[in-house]
Amino acid sequence: MMDDLDDLFASAKRDAMQPSAALMARVLADATREQPKAALRVVPKPGFWAGLATLFGGGGVLAGVGSAAVAGLVLGFVQPVGFGSVTDLLAADTLGGVEFMPGIDALLAEE
Amino acid sequence: MPRDSLAEVPDEALLVLYANGDPEAARLLTTRLLPRVLGYAGRLLADRTEAEDVAQEAMLRLWRQASEWRQGEAKVSTWVYRVVSNLCTDRLRARQRRRSDALDDVPEPADGAASAVAGMIEADRMAALDAALASLPDRQREAVVLRHIEGMSNPEIAEILQIGVEAVESLTARGKRALAAILSGQRAALGYEEAE
Repeated sequence: MMDDLDDLFASAKRDAMQPSAALMARVLADATREQPKAALRVVPKPGFWAGLATLFGGGGVLAGVGSAAVAGLVLGFVQPVGFGSVTDLLAADTLGGVEFMPGIDALLAEE
Repeated sequence: MPRDSLAEVPDEALLVLYANGDPEAARLLTTRLLPRVLGYAGRLLADRTEAEDVAQEAMLRLWRQASEWRQGEAKVSTWVYRVVSNLCTDRLRARQRRRSDALDDVPEPADGAASAVAGMIEADRMAALDAALASLPDRQREAVVLRHIEGMSNPEIAEILQIGVEAVESLTARGKRALAAILSGQRAALGYEEAE
């Protein structure tokens, strides 16, 4: 009888119920309804700073430009001693006659 | 994630993907698990409508468990089979209670297995098997179906039924002997010649 029983088990395995399309749809509907909401991917709307960073070509570039601007303002207001001497030199009358961009008049005169 | 790339992904990882919002993971898990779950419930309950209800309920509990799933503790399929076993046990006990309540009003007592055996001439082989399985104690029936029809290993069954492997071996052996005893007088109705 045991062999017959194994035969019967094999038939039962082949005869197993198969899910209908309706059952499959019900189960998938449950899955959709129960899917954890907090984990769903939400694409955030870009804010002001994100938009500005995009305009400048990225956050890194924006940070660099911002730092340079702040540094310029600080140097302008504080005017450290070293910088003062340089600016004094540039503003001196003795430099009034210095030609940083000499013309070619002198060369023409020699001819 | 595209379906092809998920085909080889284990059930546990699919459940995590589902919890993270991947709709394709749910579809693939359903395709893998629902036929097995329904087949198991169908064999235990021998009733398609009830089996579908149980299968849907078991899958629903899986979806609800997804976000709290602890990887490495149990296989997804084992967990779902355990849920189906419990749900089927509840339904079979409720069925027995209804039957015994109804029999209080009937003067002629009837035994489920005996009734089925009496009707064997008209029954097909699967109905005979279902009737014989129904006459087994819950644990024996579950162990026999999982071992001999679902094709699971004894350690897997032990995990599903939350008992030891030796207990599983004992249950399946006793269950099979009991089935053989019930069905031995019904060889002709089962399609086996008496002369074999």
